Amino acid sequence: MFNLEQSIAAWRQQMLAAGIKTPVPLEELEGHLREDIERQMKSGLNAQRAFENAIQHIGKANMLKSEFAKVDATKVANRLKQCQIIMVACLGVESLFWTTCLLLKKGRFSEITAAQQMSGLAAVAVMILLAGIGLSGHSPVILRRKVRDLICTSNGRLLGLLWVWVFGFVIGPVDTFFVLPNYAGGFLWIMLPPAGILFGFIGGLEKAAMKKTAMADLSAGQS
Amino acid sequence: MIRKELVAASAEPLILSLLSRGESYGYAIIQEVKARSDGKLQWTDGMLYPVLHRMEHRGLIKSRWGESETGRKRKYYSLKKDGKTAMAKHHEQWSLVHSVLVGLQKEQYV
Repeated sequence: MFNLEQSIAAWRQQMLAAGIKTPVPLEELEGHLREDIERQMKSGLNAQRAFENAIQHIGKANMLKSEFAKVDATKVANRLKQCQIIMVACLGVESLFWTTCLLLKKGRFSEITAAQQMSGLAAVAVMILLAGIGLSGHSPVILRRKVRDLICTSNGRLLGLLWVWVFGFVIGPVDTFFVLPNYAGGFLWIMLPPAGILFGFIGGLEKAAMKKTAMADLSAGQS
Repeated sequence: MIRKELVAASAEPLILSLLSRGESYGYAIIQEVKARSDGKLQWTDGMLYPVLHRMEHRGLIKSRWGESETGRKRKYYSLKKDGKTAMAKHHEQWSLVHSVLVGLQKEQYV
């Protein structure tokens, strides 16, 4: 004996198994399915026939999943774009500020030599280079969102501390090129490279993961 | 039956035009398009929802959960300001294509 509620529950399970999310869009699709069944039954069809027609009308789970995945990808791409615009703007402001200070020998840089000026500008360039590598999608691929979030929210601190240690104890003491006057341990060299990685990685990690996921979806769709 | 590429391309202007008359929901939109095209424009029902969600994300339409006459949950969609602008653009472009086609068709009979 055909049981409509059981059949709808089984259809829901199929949709969930295919990756259709709940409550949205699954609730909306179920509402549509029930409405279609109801209308068909009103026009004289029995429940089983109406259900069979309705699931045919609504389409297969894997097809729907791939269409909804495109919507999700558009959302992520838009958020990513906004994030990257902000990162590039921040990078631009920071680079411009330090470059101007160094070139015009402003504030604490008033007494720097030409070599020290070069050293400061090199630190700015390293920051831009590292940010560029990250933003151009050459970040490592980390597919787990939680790990990416952890890196993005913490790497300003973790990476900063690690770099301070490496620079303060390894690089700085052995090379005077990195030391700018009035800035203990070469302030710009301590601050700017991790900032570059931070600017680049926040957008870059998401971009790299999205690229990898899109490629996986594409190959799954072709197979 | 109309080719699927044309069905896909016409989805957005049709949805925008239908919603410009007032808020509506998925099932009603599909039924209306079917009725107005004498069943020649047929969407796979489920495929309408990704289109609606994409349009909502682009800020063309907005949605709210309401209730049907029978008390079931139902999602209603309505047009936003950007949707009206997009609809006007669609009308302009489709009218242009239509007028070119009609013009060419007339020339064939001269």
